[in-house]
Amino acid sequence: MPGRRLPLRGADLVLIAMHSLCKGRDVSSNTLLVVECDGPIAPERIRRALDRLLDFCPWPAARLRRPFPWGRLHWAAGPRAALVPPPVRHRSVASREELHAELESELSSVIDPRRDPPLRFLIVDCGPEPARGHGVLVLTWFHPLMDPRGGQNLLRHLARFDQEENQATPRGAPWAFTPQPDPRPLRERGRLARQSVHYMRTLTAVAPVSPGTGLISPGRARFRQESFVERDPQAAGSRAMREICWRLALVGRAMAELWERRGLPDVPFLVPIAVDLRPKGDPGPTFGNVLAFHFARFKPSETANVAALASALRRQMADAVRDGQIEANSVAMEFLQYRPLSMMLRDLPGTSERETFSFNCADVMDFPAVLGSAFGRRIVNAYHAPAVLPRPGIGVFFNRCATRSNLVVSWIEGAAAEDEVGRIVEVVREGMGWTRIP
Amino acid sequence: MPTARVRRIEPEEVAAVLTAFINTSIMARGHPLQPDDDLELAGLDSMALLKVLLFIEAEFGFWIPDEDLVQETVRSPRTLALYICRRRRQA
Repeated sequence: MPGRRLPLRGADLVLIAMHSLCKGRDVSSNTLLVVECDGPIAPERIRRALDRLLDFCPWPAARLRRPFPWGRLHWAAGPRAALVPPPVRHRSVASREELHAELESELSSVIDPRRDPPLRFLIVDCGPEPARGHGVLVLTWFHPLMDPRGGQNLLRHLARFDQEENQATPRGAPWAFTPQPDPRPLRERGRLARQSVHYMRTLTAVAPVSPGTGLISPGRARFRQESFVERDPQAAGSRAMREICWRLALVGRAMAELWERRGLPDVPFLVPIAVDLRPKGDPGPTFGNVLAFHFARFKPSETANVAALASALRRQMADAVRDGQIEANSVAMEFLQYRPLSMMLRDLPGTSERETFSFNCADVMDFPAVLGSAFGRRIVNAYHAPAVLPRPGIGVFFNRCATRSNLVVSWIEGAAAEDEVGRIVEVVREGMGWTRIP
Repeated sequence: MPTARVRRIEPEEVAAVLTAFINTSIMARGHPLQPDDDLELAGLDSMALLKVLLFIEAEFGFWIPDEDLVQETVRSPRTLALYICRRRRQA
């Protein structure tokens, strides 16, 4: 089989272009999917499943390439015989602190996608010797390889290969590992892309400010994760609290507190909100980026009344859908593959000041219920922890696994301090009415 | 003009209209939703729910206010249909 190519698209290209704002520094673009299991996982099972996967899908063993400085960035994979499965490492730790140190090391250890495989696995046996209490599976990948749902899909494929080890071919319908190209004519897509560019230019009059503003030497990528349960999932208002607009308003309030403590100006927050374009009910594509973006705008001073702000943000998002801006954004992101990286950020507000967004916020939603167990173990909890860029320097991420609500705050050392992160977690916990799981 | 605006409609019919919209615009092919299925469990996220609200606005002529976005209302196409019919009777 000849060499294969998968062009980078959309937000992946934007993320790589944003690296140009941090020139001369090793900046992590890693994302972790941390899966906690009720017992140790056998690394061999992951290795075998990965090897099987490469028979059908080469992208876990691909490298990032660009034929010429002006050529399209793409993932390149050789014929099957030349593909080397990504590494699966195995560690043991005796405490939660040691485990967290391992996880932060995974988040910070930069993947160079031109030379290294774009993803790697770490299996951690946790607990004191000799009986290791539980196991943690960590999937780390270079973010532009796939989005968070893609990471979950990859795990799903691997779990299925593990289950069907003796089957010659996977059962069921063939899997679409990558997104289908947009079937609309170029002319129509071009019109939508222009509409989006025009809209982007109207988003903010002033460049946003972020906790990373003015950060000269960014430190390591860090994160804090806590698990909670909803006090009463059926209580009045609990449904609205699961909406991204409510959660963004609450995170906005926590950030406004940080802004006030630091004396940062009351210029509008600009926050990209990812929209998963996959049809629902089916896992959809694994590799590539299947996201469009909505850009939320609100002032720190507007966060005092979270309910009113959530309502305003919902109206803002409804207007964006009504006006076709989300659809136009998804098309515009596609068009970026025809643009040199150096020109890619021109239409984002604030990039002339090296500032793109105020902070990151996303809800990755539920970990797939079908992954209740994998590799012979019951999955107890799972969450995503992406590294954020030095600017904005901080991000707050929600994800649920069964009845657990996970909150992850990811930051860059220097952009935020641990006590500030702790306060953000507390503001969100209080606002959500969550009870902490020890 | 949408036909739903000019005549009395029954919850069953509204639920069918909503289910058809969700199945054609939001759900993956081969994974159809039924009128009593839980929208959240079916994987509808905030953006998908917003699309449903916009469809209701376009088709039935009103926007569901935030205070009514409770589980009893948005659980399934049928609970949404019951809410829509109730609102239309009140109007």
